[in-house]
Amino acid sequence: MEMMPGEFLLGKLDDVARWAQSSSVWPLTMGLACCAIEMMSVQAPQYDIARLGSEVFRASPRQADLMIVSGRVAQKMGPIIKRLYDQMADPKWVISMGACASSGGVFDNYAIIQGVDTIVPVDVYVPGCPPTPDGLLYAITLIQQQIRQGGRGGILARA
Amino acid sequence: MKAPAAIPPPMGVDVVETTGNTMTLSLGPQHPSTHGVLQVVVEVSGETIERAEMEIGYLHTGIEKSAENLFWTQAQTVIERMDYLNPVGNALCYVLAAEQLLGVTERIPPRAQAIRVLMTELTRISSHCVWLGTHGIDLGAISAFWYIFDIRENVLDLVELAGGARMHPNYLRIGGVNGDVPEGYLAKLDELIAKFPQRMREMRSLLQNNPIWRDRTIDVGVVTPEDAIRWSLTGPALRASGIAYDVRKAFPYCGYDTYDFDVPVRTEGDAYARFLVRLDEMDQAMRIISQVRKRLDTPGPIMIDDPKIAPPAKETIALSMEALIHHFKLVSEGFRVPPGDVYQAIESPRGELAYYLVSNGNNRPYRVRTRPPSMYNLQALKQMAIGNLIADVVVMIGSLDPVFGEVDR
Amino acid sequence: MPSSQSPSIAGTALDPTSVRPPVADAEIVRVAPAEVRETLVRLKAEGCSMLLDVGAVDYLEREPRFDVVYHLLALPAVAASVAQIGTPRRVRVLAGVPGNATALPSVADLWPNADWAEREIFDLFGITFEGHPDLRRIQMPEDWQGYPLRKDYPLRGPAREATPRPAFALKSNVPAGTPPAGRVAAALQKQRERGPADDVVRDTGTGEKSST
Repeated sequence: MEMMPGEFLLGKLDDVARWAQSSSVWPLTMGLACCAIEMMSVQAPQYDIARLGSEVFRASPRQADLMIVSGRVAQKMGPIIKRLYDQMADPKWVISMGACASSGGVFDNYAIIQGVDTIVPVDVYVPGCPPTPDGLLYAITLIQQQIRQGGRGGILARA
Repeated sequence: MKAPAAIPPPMGVDVVETTGNTMTLSLGPQHPSTHGVLQVVVEVSGETIERAEMEIGYLHTGIEKSAENLFWTQAQTVIERMDYLNPVGNALCYVLAAEQLLGVTERIPPRAQAIRVLMTELTRISSHCVWLGTHGIDLGAISAFWYIFDIRENVLDLVELAGGARMHPNYLRIGGVNGDVPEGYLAKLDELIAKFPQRMREMRSLLQNNPIWRDRTIDVGVVTPEDAIRWSLTGPALRASGIAYDVRKAFPYCGYDTYDFDVPVRTEGDAYARFLVRLDEMDQAMRIISQVRKRLDTPGPIMIDDPKIAPPAKETIALSMEALIHHFKLVSEGFRVPPGDVYQAIESPRGELAYYLVSNGNNRPYRVRTRPPSMYNLQALKQMAIGNLIADVVVMIGSLDPVFGEVDR
Repeated sequence: MPSSQSPSIAGTALDPTSVRPPVADAEIVRVAPAEVRETLVRLKAEGCSMLLDVGAVDYLEREPRFDVVYHLLALPAVAASVAQIGTPRRVRVLAGVPGNATALPSVADLWPNADWAEREIFDLFGITFEGHPDLRRIQMPEDWQGYPLRKDYPLRGPAREATPRPAFALKSNVPAGTPPAGRVAAALQKQRERGPADDVVRDTGTGEKSST
């Protein structure tokens, strides 16, 4: 199958766009509990998430494209996470950081939602209680891989 | 998430006459500077707050209920996750309370007590580092965050080396600690003790005499001693108002009465005073750590020698029938704690952390009621915020240093 | 194996607070619900200036069913040094609240920090406090049914308790029992066609293991 010159150029543009997207993933500060402290350590100089492109963590969901759910999700907090996810603009990705966000963790009880993926679609799960900052950095690189391979994230990528 | 239809009048607060021309604003629970999931609903007239009410519960985890369904040693894992900046402290308070009920407090080996004090003070330093870094970010002093978290990494390295994890090491046990410090640990500890004064000087130089920092924290959130008692403030917030109540001095535990340290106190009661008190506390914590370091030179057991509580050494399980049986019983059923109730308090970086622990003779805790210092410290905000600007609320929350894992449990 | 799945061993004390361990942590005062307020007012006048905590315990098999526990500390309300504070007095006031009359007078006017503590007891145990300015749920959502920390409330909550717990707690977006599809099904099919690997120990069914 031959590619027309126009398609070749568009293909290249797509790659450039994905490279740009993956190199500047800005997370939303969704720090809930202990994992949030490890997320802060990831921003700190020893682990330094800025070298992967996440230069700033935005507090407003309108300005962020990655939601790192770091911590246990209580019953009251569930609707708020959904609302914040809806407020984020496409394309958007979600990392479920830690055992509590991934599956309820050590808290198999009435108060904790057993996995944030019951509320929002998750792209990468990070195990650990809390995961070391290296784990979160690896998750960010996985997200970058997903972006470069064409997963645009958000509603459009989910059939 | 929605502001309540009418904010009920806060209890115990002198209600000012509202100007009538107010707007109700909700800060949080998603907000960069509420230190976690807190919702502050304020009624403002312009920028001045006329009334403030807080909604908590966004991190309610049911830890107390979970602990009632786990063995005594297992319950420690969930309890450690309450105040997540001070996991070793939560564990310490819990094991001390359980040891009181077991009646073995006197039999805990001195080396175990020393290691417990070491871990607790290291955690105090790392907790104050997080407080200062985030307090700085809230006020715009972002450079402070970078320097301070670097110090915190050095401290966490030591916690990880002995305990196995940076946060929630689950290193303490009812009866002692889980394993001695590894080889080479004391040398690394010496390195930290040697370079800490220089790092503290750096930390102080960043903020202590910074005119912007002083402008934003001096005379903000003043708490008089009477109010501090009424609102049950404890910890640095109480000591910054002049009342030198420190659980380590008033009700010593773990041999704190054998260490030489001061309790920093200020009388101004504002955010700057709380800032200075916590910085001084970091210095005092390192002073205690140097004294512990000397005691760690003498070897000794690190776990009580009671086979009903302490699991046998791994090497003996293959050789001794009794060891095998004890190990099996401890793992499958846990041990039982005699019935009774106890109130055990420790000095956490936030104040008096205490557990009211009830046992009914079973192999699980019957009730672990937590006295969370952050929850009581935070309530004072209802009064402190009145008459101040919204920007000051951020300063006040930071200076009270709440941790929501503890407030909501 | 999670401990919540194994039966708990029967306890030996219906009323742990009547068994005093040899621990001198506070003065203990047990009062009836009607005397709670006057006892606390008296203790406050005697110098127990700080209400450290109000908590509750559910003793399901005891009458009265609940204990509401007040922890008091006597601290001076003026600037004081460590030596002046010394060892302050601690008092623990326990009020037995019966299961069919779960109400107590509120002390939020004596100590303003009792506000949230009493709301939490109401939220998690269902004990109402008369005279509290704003008694509503604090930890659970406003419309939550039931009082979670009561002993007869299931750990996982009534909704989840009714559903069976998966034997292997593998979290997946795909419901359990869904047959494999796509690449996974193709790989399984290929494996079936290939047959078992050479070094697998096969159970021939005659009671002896063989490996070829």
